[in-house]
Amino acid sequence: MGKYFSKEKWKYMFYTVTHPMDGYYWIRHQDRGSVPMAILMIVLFSASFSANRLLASFVVNDVDPRAVDSLYELIGVLAAYLLLCVSNWSITCLMNGEGRMKDIAIAVGYGSVPITIMMFLGTLVSQFVADDEQAFYVMILAVGIAYGVIMVLVGIMQVHNYTLGKTLITLFLTLVAMFIIIFLLLLLSNLLGMVVNFFRSIYMEIIFRT
Amino acid sequence: MRGLSLCLASLLLAGMIAGDVYATSIPYDTYNYDYRNYIHFTPAAYVPERTIRGNSFTYNGEPLGNFVTPQDLCQADDGRIYVADTGNNRIVVLDEKMRQVLNVITVFDNNGTEDSFKQPYGVFVSEKNEIYIADSQNNRIVVLSQEGKLIKIVANPQSESLEDDYVFVPLKVAVDYADRIYCIAQNMFEGIMVFESNGSFSTFFGTIDVEISAWEKFWARLASKEERAKQLLFIPTEFTGIDIDPDGFVYASNIDPNGEQGVRRLNPRGEDVIKKGENKNVGGDLWINSSTEYAGPSQFTDVVYRDNGIYSCLDRKRGRIFTYDHEGNLLYIFGGLGSQEGTFALPVAVEDIGDRIVVLDATRGEISCFEMTEYGRLINEAVGLRYDGDEASAVAIWERVLELDENNELANTGIGKAYLTAGDYEQAMKYLKLGMNRDHYSVAFRRYRNDMLTANASYFLTGIAVLLIVWFVYKQWKKKKGKKGGAANG
Repeated sequence: MGKYFSKEKWKYMFYTVTHPMDGYYWIRHQDRGSVPMAILMIVLFSASFSANRLLASFVVNDVDPRAVDSLYELIGVLAAYLLLCVSNWSITCLMNGEGRMKDIAIAVGYGSVPITIMMFLGTLVSQFVADDEQAFYVMILAVGIAYGVIMVLVGIMQVHNYTLGKTLITLFLTLVAMFIIIFLLLLLSNLLGMVVNFFRSIYMEIIFRT
Repeated sequence: MRGLSLCLASLLLAGMIAGDVYATSIPYDTYNYDYRNYIHFTPAAYVPERTIRGNSFTYNGEPLGNFVTPQDLCQADDGRIYVADTGNNRIVVLDEKMRQVLNVITVFDNNGTEDSFKQPYGVFVSEKNEIYIADSQNNRIVVLSQEGKLIKIVANPQSESLEDDYVFVPLKVAVDYADRIYCIAQNMFEGIMVFESNGSFSTFFGTIDVEISAWEKFWARLASKEERAKQLLFIPTEFTGIDIDPDGFVYASNIDPNGEQGVRRLNPRGEDVIKKGENKNVGGDLWINSSTEYAGPSQFTDVVYRDNGIYSCLDRKRGRIFTYDHEGNLLYIFGGLGSQEGTFALPVAVEDIGDRIVVLDATRGEISCFEMTEYGRLINEAVGLRYDGDEASAVAIWERVLELDENNELANTGIGKAYLTAGDYEQAMKYLKLGMNRDHYSVAFRRYRNDMLTANASYFLTGIAVLLIVWFVYKQWKKKKGKKGGAANG
């Protein structure tokens, strides 16, 4: 455990957040990142997302608290994370990407750090703003999200050793791949359901006949 | 959304058998929609009082007989109630308490000849106590005095904008303080017809614009001429009911297929100036998506202006009465279709008679009276006080409302606003949040924040000063240590 969450790894994560170009390069080439930590960051992101929806002050928050289910949202975020990593990996494999699965996981996971921080900060700030000061709150969130997106972009670019243009193309293809995967999963579950149903009806038939 | 519509379906079902669910004699639910458009059941605002049938009356010693498809009723300023007994070709005048018949108008003297009505569809009494009768199958509006003497007849509207073969079939009438006549005519999609006090047609009024979506435009563009000719025409909806407030604003109901706006408030220029409130809707029920026959938008068939900016609309689809205040907030919803007393088969007209709301049922020929409960009275009073700008004295009433209905958002907002004016910002924030009123909450919050800052300024400033000193001392100390460490290394 200590290996994945050592003080050095923590320090390096924050170094990556402040210096994404350098940081991601050495994550790819010297294994200075940590996948469990990236997953932890995703979990933290989901927590801060739910907390923001639930706890941001009444002035800025129009979410129905009854509609927030943090566990459900955690599962959703983790599923999306897995989906993104898998589909990006499948695309970049075919497009001369140098990154391994774990590099992609780290790139995305570390990229979520600024969003988590800013969302947390925004929730805090929202407790002190009145309606015409909402712009501060929105700006904090927007900066966090923009920085997060840039970090993921740079991360993908660095771990695969791509140019910016190629990164954008692969990201688009990743999106397409995500849809294909979702479609196949739906298809699979549907067909599996049919098979299960088939065996169940056979079983029922036998039960009723004896 | 699917969950919602499922809920809706069950709710609608529940609405039909509600009498069994609650052990009361009220055959319907009273409810409202909250900020998030969830249904919020409230105590009854109005309860059925009695049902009036024509055969319970005698006039001049003879039985009156049942009403046959009556279509309209109206209360005059002197309290008398006029019923357009359409199928019997007569106007029945009842006293204020609806206990006895004062008059039955079947014939009138038309310049020497005896004249009668043919399917009188609408009736209205002006401020001068003149009776306006939409004599639909005689294609005219008959104006009679209180005694039944003919004053004038309005017929044959002449205008360039009317087609030559146009047949004038008036259905509903209303008259303003200047004796201008507003008439809803059959198959008149251009709007309400306005006649001057001398009976000449002046203009159309409050035309409902047709809304064509981009998608429909796109298909219309693709379609060939023959195809287009076969498609449905985009025709605006007709008005269904009409009423006038003392300031001369016309309230007119219409059937909106989208369920967004079933009533309009038209200023003297014919522009719609209604306020739509928080949920941008004055169209009745909000949960209308379902596949059952009972679903679909409310169909407002009549509107009545009551006091203090409050108006009620009658929905014939589900037999409910929706009451809004002048800001377009729903106050309460009650009523339902059915066969019990207090429910309707085909409600066609609604009128406000003092403490009562009466609804005319065309199929059964009945007038249903609904009596105000304490809950209804409190809400009406509080809204009235707010309408007059007297929010401070409304607070006591709103507090009583909260005792009856803890989650009433209007009551919470009303109390919160009063606290805000009084300067108790903490309480104001509490109530405004319960009332889901973001704007006023924000004002209260800002003032509360300022108060907190000024009250505790000394602590804040001292705290900052202490932090600065600590930081400074720490730096000095580190510098010293660094020097020492450096010396030791060196």
